[in-house]
Amino acid sequence: MSEKVRIGFYALTSCYGCQLQMAMMDEILHLLDKAEIECWFMVERDSDEDREVDIAFIEGSVSTQEEVELVKKIREKAKIVVAVGACATQGGVQSWGKDKELSELWKTVYGDAHVKFEPKMAEPVEKYIKVDYKLYGCPPEKKDFLYALGTFLVGSWPEDIDYPVCVECRLRGNPCILIEKGEPCLGPVTVAGCDARCPGFNVACIGCRGAVGYDVAWFDSLALEFKKKGLTKEEILERMKIFNAHNPKLEEMVNKIFEEGE
Amino acid sequence: MYIPITVDHIARVEGKGGIEIVTSDEGVKEVKLNIIEGPRFFEAITIGKKLEEALAIYPRVCSFCSASHKLTALESAEKAIGFTPRPEIQDLRELLYMGDTIESHALHLYLLVLPDYLGYSNPLAMVDKYKREIEYAMALKNIGSKIMDYLGSRAIHQENAVLGGFGKLPTKTQFEELKRELKEALPLAEYTVELFSKLEQYEEVTDDEMVHMAVKPRNDVYGIYGDYIKVSDGFEFPVEDYKKHIVEKVVEHSFAKHSFYKGRPFMVGAISRIVNNADLLYGKAKELYTQYKDLLRYNNCFANNFAQAIELVYFIERAIDIIDDTLAKWPVKERDEVELKDGFGVSITEAPRGLLVYALEVKDGRVNYADIITPTAMNLAIMERHVRMMAENHWQDDPERLKLLAEMTVRAYDPCISCSVHVVRL
Repeated sequence: MSEKVRIGFYALTSCYGCQLQMAMMDEILHLLDKAEIECWFMVERDSDEDREVDIAFIEGSVSTQEEVELVKKIREKAKIVVAVGACATQGGVQSWGKDKELSELWKTVYGDAHVKFEPKMAEPVEKYIKVDYKLYGCPPEKKDFLYALGTFLVGSWPEDIDYPVCVECRLRGNPCILIEKGEPCLGPVTVAGCDARCPGFNVACIGCRGAVGYDVAWFDSLALEFKKKGLTKEEILERMKIFNAHNPKLEEMVNKIFEEGE
Repeated sequence: MYIPITVDHIARVEGKGGIEIVTSDEGVKEVKLNIIEGPRFFEAITIGKKLEEALAIYPRVCSFCSASHKLTALESAEKAIGFTPRPEIQDLRELLYMGDTIESHALHLYLLVLPDYLGYSNPLAMVDKYKREIEYAMALKNIGSKIMDYLGSRAIHQENAVLGGFGKLPTKTQFEELKRELKEALPLAEYTVELFSKLEQYEEVTDDEMVHMAVKPRNDVYGIYGDYIKVSDGFEFPVEDYKKHIVEKVVEHSFAKHSFYKGRPFMVGAISRIVNNADLLYGKAKELYTQYKDLLRYNNCFANNFAQAIELVYFIERAIDIIDDTLAKWPVKERDEVELKDGFGVSITEAPRGLLVYALEVKDGRVNYADIITPTAMNLAIMERHVRMMAENHWQDDPERLKLLAEMTVRAYDPCISCSVHVVRL
């Protein structure tokens, strides 16, 4: 490719961790010969959201009306739109409060103080525009960025990951936290790619990479396993919803286990 | 009719914020720092949730200082359930915390602040002419990240720090590797001090009334954890009394809560720690402090950049000491059992950007009440004051220059806008 690829990195409502992860890669310096940064406020003062780009990375959930307008604008200006990280792909942890009324959330934080503001419940980017590709994780791994950027730069397309964390966990030879320790590990339903990072530290997976797509996230089987370990339906839903509050199948699949009995 | 001078989106800071300066023939009428991110309701979302799950979520308040959020929330939760970690676990948590501070300071100084002084719009473009600086920035950042990778599971959102200790500890070999690399990083940090000693601290924002707040470190070693807060006017208070002395107000024009001490804005951060606790520094950092004392001014927010450079040296040396202590006690058990009793706990620690408050109430193993105040929320009021001072001195200049100076003033505070949690937009 002779021309430089025009890149934009945009933030909605987030912790900025996805941008930080990309900015912190030593490899970012090699990208410079091949890319032109049109908009990336975290590193570039000369940024402009109105410029056309070849690749738009979007992090964060859509949480205000302005952000709805912004994602629509980005979609118009960009050839490829990549939703980056748990907030952009799944609505993020701020969606964990989805079951509570917004007004209740508001009151908890702000009390009766008057602020002229219309908050929205956090939503994934996909709810408003077509997303071409997703990078999973909270935050995504550096290799997720490298792989995506690498394939885009050679004019190809990154493959989606369609298998769960357990695959990588077995390959690493970790003891199974779910079976051997009885802890509610979400590895079986969560997108792989992290090399089973947390189980590798003896910490149960909380599902930050989101549920595996292609209808192979078996929430029901896992819920049955959790139920056998003494978790209530509410506890199971709560845990699965930390990063999957917007998943359309989750509730129905877990309910099924508790309706049918054993 | 005057058009306000606005920076719609301050670049090279964490999060989304803007500056609005309104002027007339007489001078500056209004200065506003606008916070333009959606709210995330962290306190509200976690109420009623299982304590362990809530603790996994708190770091997501902010990526630049996720370890600070994790460790402050953990301390507050453990105080609530009546658990005290073993001293060696406490030391290792402090080490993890320092990894965060080293990385955060390196990023802020080299990638966010330095480009302004060298005339670049972004740090990556500096690589041709300032190869050494970029290499040092990356190396300092990487040792901070590596500490977090080994002790926290990763540099952003550490899942390995859990109630009672750690899921898994690094191996002895890994600790030795960290120590070796920290030693290699020390001269780079010393170079950072030398480099930043040459950068201008703008006289226009000299503010003799400035008050600084910092944690009074435990065990009389300059650091991160403590049970009392020191104020530069000589006052001290226990962390449990934070609500009496750090008063948050919803300010309609600012879209984010502002904090006041005795009715006045105050500052937190690296310079605030040095102003309050310089006598506790030791080693190379102490020498450098003595040498450059005149640059570590209590009355100029730009001194915060230089204070971070001094802290880089300090925390690298301190991290080496903690690793030595740990290896002397090796093997160390990674975790103790905790019992989720009911209770209430307050923890205030020194995040890279200043005081971070967590107050959690635990009931039946779940979060019953949560209050978080972040350093940037505390600094917003005084930040606005100093941007105003800058504007009053430069309102007749070329707007582009005023914009840059106003942004540089904000950047000196190293603000973390996502951090300000209770943040709204009109």
